[in-house]
Amino acid sequence: MLQNSPEIGHSSHVVTLDVRPQLLDALSALRDRVAAARFPLPLAGAPRARANRDELLAQLDDYLVPRLRQPEAPLLAVVGGSTGAGKSTLVNSLVGRRVSEAGVLRPTTRTPVLVCHPEDQHWFSGMRVLPDLTRVWTPHQDVGDDLLLPDENPARVLRIETADTLPPGLALLDAPDVDSLVADNRVLAAELICAADIWVMVTTAARYADAVPWHMLRTAKEYDATFVTVLDRVPHQVVAEVSRQYGALLTKAGLGDVPRFTVPELPESAWGGGLLPATAVAPLRSWLVHHVQDPGARQHAMGRTVYGILDSLTSRMPELAGATAQQYAAALRLTAAVDGAYDSEHARVRGRLQAGAVLAGDALKRWRAFPLDCTAGELLDALVESLSSLIVCAVTAADERIGDAWRREPAADADGLADPDATRESAEHRIGLAVRRWRRELEEYAEEEVRGLERSPAPDPELIAALVATALLGGRRARPAGEGLAERLGAHGALRLRDRGGRLLAEHVDGVLHAERERRLAPLDGLDVHAEPQAELIAALSLLQKER
Amino acid sequence: MTAVTDQDHTEHADHPGEGTVQDDRSVSQDRRRLDGRGLPEGGDAGEAPGAVHRKGDPSEGSARGGHTEEPEAGAERAGPDGRVEGELRGGPDGRSGVPEGHAGSTPRAGERSAPETRGAEPGTGAGDDVRARGGDDARARGRQDLRARGGDQEPVRGADDARARGRDDVRARGAEAASSGDDGPDVPDGSSPPWDDGLIARRVNENGGAAEPAVVLESRTGVGGGPQGVAPLAYDGPLRSRLDALRELVGLSRARLDSRTLAEAGRVLDEAAARRKLSGQHTVVAIAGATGSGKSQLFNALAGVTISETGVRRPTTAAPIACSWSDGGASLIERLGIPPRLRRRPVQSPESEEQLRGLVLVDLPDHDSAALQHREQVDRVLRLVDAVIWVVDPEKYADAVLHERYLRPMAGHAEVMFVVLNQTDRLPGEAADLVLDDLRRLLDEDGIALSEYGEPGATVLALSALTGDGVGELREALGQFVGERGAAARRISADVDAAACGLRPVYSAGRRTGLSEQAREEFSARLADAVGATAAGEAAERAWLRNANRACGTPWLRLWRWFQDRSEPPTGRLPLRAQADAEATARQRVEHAVRTVAEQASDGLPAAWAQAVREAAVRGAQGLPEALDGLAARAGTLFPSRPPRPGWWPAAVLVQASMTLLQVVGGLWLVAQIAGVMAPNLGVPVLLMVAGIVGGPLVEWSCRMAARGPARRYGQEAERRLREAAAGCGRARVLDPVAAELLRYREVREQYVRVTGVGAAPR
Repeated sequence: MLQNSPEIGHSSHVVTLDVRPQLLDALSALRDRVAAARFPLPLAGAPRARANRDELLAQLDDYLVPRLRQPEAPLLAVVGGSTGAGKSTLVNSLVGRRVSEAGVLRPTTRTPVLVCHPEDQHWFSGMRVLPDLTRVWTPHQDVGDDLLLPDENPARVLRIETADTLPPGLALLDAPDVDSLVADNRVLAAELICAADIWVMVTTAARYADAVPWHMLRTAKEYDATFVTVLDRVPHQVVAEVSRQYGALLTKAGLGDVPRFTVPELPESAWGGGLLPATAVAPLRSWLVHHVQDPGARQHAMGRTVYGILDSLTSRMPELAGATAQQYAAALRLTAAVDGAYDSEHARVRGRLQAGAVLAGDALKRWRAFPLDCTAGELLDALVESLSSLIVCAVTAADERIGDAWRREPAADADGLADPDATRESAEHRIGLAVRRWRRELEEYAEEEVRGLERSPAPDPELIAALVATALLGGRRARPAGEGLAERLGAHGALRLRDRGGRLLAEHVDGVLHAERERRLAPLDGLDVHAEPQAELIAALSLLQKER
Repeated sequence: MTAVTDQDHTEHADHPGEGTVQDDRSVSQDRRRLDGRGLPEGGDAGEAPGAVHRKGDPSEGSARGGHTEEPEAGAERAGPDGRVEGELRGGPDGRSGVPEGHAGSTPRAGERSAPETRGAEPGTGAGDDVRARGGDDARARGRQDLRARGGDQEPVRGADDARARGRDDVRARGAEAASSGDDGPDVPDGSSPPWDDGLIARRVNENGGAAEPAVVLESRTGVGGGPQGVAPLAYDGPLRSRLDALRELVGLSRARLDSRTLAEAGRVLDEAAARRKLSGQHTVVAIAGATGSGKSQLFNALAGVTISETGVRRPTTAAPIACSWSDGGASLIERLGIPPRLRRRPVQSPESEEQLRGLVLVDLPDHDSAALQHREQVDRVLRLVDAVIWVVDPEKYADAVLHERYLRPMAGHAEVMFVVLNQTDRLPGEAADLVLDDLRRLLDEDGIALSEYGEPGATVLALSALTGDGVGELREALGQFVGERGAAARRISADVDAAACGLRPVYSAGRRTGLSEQAREEFSARLADAVGATAAGEAAERAWLRNANRACGTPWLRLWRWFQDRSEPPTGRLPLRAQADAEATARQRVEHAVRTVAEQASDGLPAAWAQAVREAAVRGAQGLPEALDGLAARAGTLFPSRPPRPGWWPAAVLVQASMTLLQVVGGLWLVAQIAGVMAPNLGVPVLLMVAGIVGGPLVEWSCRMAARGPARRYGQEAERRLREAAAGCGRARVLDPVAAELLRYREVREQYVRVTGVGAAPR
């Protein structure tokens, strides 16, 4: 019942004269570029760009590439239109048998139905076209029954029917509504229409001025696809008038030359789900048959759609490229906000360090009590704590600044991009770790220095470390510390120790701030927004144009 | 009556004067209150005489009532030229109507154009009004001759409806006066295009005979029935208080939120105020739907006569058409912006008259055709009507545009909504029920409550306007609906619900908000850290202890210490210590403390209020480090470098000295014995010496033990003082402003809860 055989699709080796392999290569390269394009940042144009990309991809995958590879495959006519326009009834009538369910409840057709001649079935049962729809295959009889397996998503399957009343080389596809209340249906309908050689637009006497079908018509015109319009369900009292008015509207829209068929509203067409008499759909049927069977007409119909889509790439690819460029620009702006905030905070931290801001509050009080009422260890503790609070303060200030800047950027709403709160505590923890490590290393330096000293009694290494730390962090205020150091180690040793300690301090502070900045930028980097896709898209397009 | 008029006048005149003194917010509030209160009074006063007068010349009574007031008011707004003309025309009798005319028009003008511009530039204000209602200009023109004949002589005010019309005429006339005076450079739109409309309007008025007799009828009953004629709409208590709360809310939050967020609430308030001034006896019902669903057909079926053009041409109806079943609804229709040439009357039949009394039906253009301006019109009118009949047909009832664009957003308006499945004649037999059920299901999915089993909600009906099947049912439902006269209030209530729902994210917090006691304590602790309270306390304790030791130590120990001190080089101690430090407070800690507390306070608040709280905290934090510096310095002077000594110290020193003395005496005694100066007696001197040697350290040790308690107390006292001073400083500068901001938010939140109403659960 369920057939799913992806291998069959790639069995083709027939290449007609007008399709060179280079063109196909260029096209599949372009297809890959389009498939690789991502629009992760929620910019104003992003949803549209995503939709455009999906549509383009659908057109390439479902229509253009398979069509160019296998020009001899049957023509696919997709019947599309608004809900309740009578698409299913029309398809049934064209086939002459009930293949697609028709009814009064909207939306009726939820599963697209493809009808073709039994001989053509192999073209569609494989994954040549519409590769992401699961094929459901039913033997002829029980159409009315529940066709779907319970766990199947009705929107993502394609039911294939065969009917020998259809001429070989023609397949009809009954699509869901283009303006359905079920959003999935709308997407699917758009995708199916993208796969068509011939677009059959169905509208009705009550609907011919609706905005949605007109939007579709304009799209068809834009792509220069082969399409026909069917004015369905026209009460016969007003056939002439409605038809004339519809014609006038079409002419006004520049679509006067589009083949137009009128199908009257008959009791059968309405709600019985029955078939229209063959005479009602005869003109449409003969038009379709003619285009299938006459090689010239077939070539023309096919070529027009193919070249229409190829031509439309000229404007659509730059549009996509523009959208990727916008994404990149937005990502750059976000990054620049982070960099700016951290740079300025870094500069501030450096300034504060030089001004001796660390030797304030608790640390200052300890220093004032040192050494009579305070041990070297306590002084070091206080200094370390004060230093880490300086850095934490800088990091949170940078975060706040970034938050302010990002609030003005729509792109910053992307998932997981802004959650500084979650990392706040751990930032404090990380900074504390780094500062303590600095202290340990400083103590080691002091010990080394003391060991190298041949003076007795040798000064206490912890005292030396505390003095060095004070001298480094205390600015002008800590001059006595420097003097004490020089007294104990000698001017030379003191200078050397201070230099080493200072370098170590700068290293650690830079390292901590850099790590925090990277941490902040990581989710943005994770989105993988680069400048290259823009150029790649344009390059793929120009290559394609060269090969045509 | 004159008295009432005068009072009215002063009241209106006073308010703007006060308003300019007060701040912006209260001006707008005053003005709104003024709208609500001032008008009904005037309406009551004017009612009876207006009716009496109109008896004589019914069709023009309303116009005349207005025209008496017109010249002065119009002239005032149009500029000097207009003024001269107006006074010329007004005449002596007309003058008594002047104050009321002026007073009456003031609040409306204030509402329509911006209050500031109205006061400063009357000319532009008038221009705006004219542009807004070109049709009325035309009407005024049409009646110009009548007015010239005798209108001036009647200092009579019409009923409320008449006044409204009259006022509009006034506005139009004023502009006209201005334009005729100086070729109207400031009213370019008002002069030429409406002229055509006027012609058409006149022609329609002359031809469409239905309208005028009906007016006659209505004003007659108005004479007999008195107030029953056209009383303005009255909202019930809960709704009124909700509207008041919403107004308050908008006023309170204007400083915090941008005007775009508040626009919808402001619009609802304006509409509520505007609707309230208009007739409460009428219910405006719009017929909306997709193109080709048969709106116009249904409209005609209800009216009983072909008013709205129907046809196969899509889209058929291009502009809204109104049809009023009883009189007095003209101002309502005017509010919808439907020009007079598109106003109709239903076919006259007593029973339909009775059933649908008070109904004003509006046929709308489609909302889904390629003609975009139709949709704009639909959107505009739908905001103003009291109820909507959605017409769907079997072909289009599941259209995405209907459900997604209209029904889902308006789900809260279910009570003032009818959903009608038209064209059932196109469905065979039982299919109509199927489709109707499916439609119900879809509406349910849209979140629209359906009126089943008498519950409040949308009414869903199936009918065929073509065959007339089910139209009677709709008529009955409509008649009952209109008879209740509650639609307008219910609509406004639903609007308020929707506005409140839209404002939910800016007012409602996800969880409990506020500053916990723990957060406050943490903040104080951080500030204490910043000034170094702990370290200062410890240092003070140790200094005391050190001093105690020094004072009570054995002299030998002191000697040794002194010697050691001399050998070791001094470090950070003295002599630089004495000077006050420039930046004794750790700036980074203060900054961090403020940031943390602001974050905790704003946690869970809606963005705008969180921002306000943060700003309050940051503003308070400016200058906080400097203040703390000063504090620390003062605390330093409060604690002299030499701690005070307790009373037992001299005694301890004395004991220590005597111990030393004992040692010395014992030693001397021994030496004397050795030297043979004294009789050999080993026992006593050794005992003395041992007592001295053991007693010295013993005294020192016990002194140290005894000093520990006071030292700790002393240190803790020092720490506590610093800590409290820092906490007090932080509270005054940061916590209090933050708390005030939080309180303001809480007020607004309470107001918001009042807006949502007690019973109405926010959707």
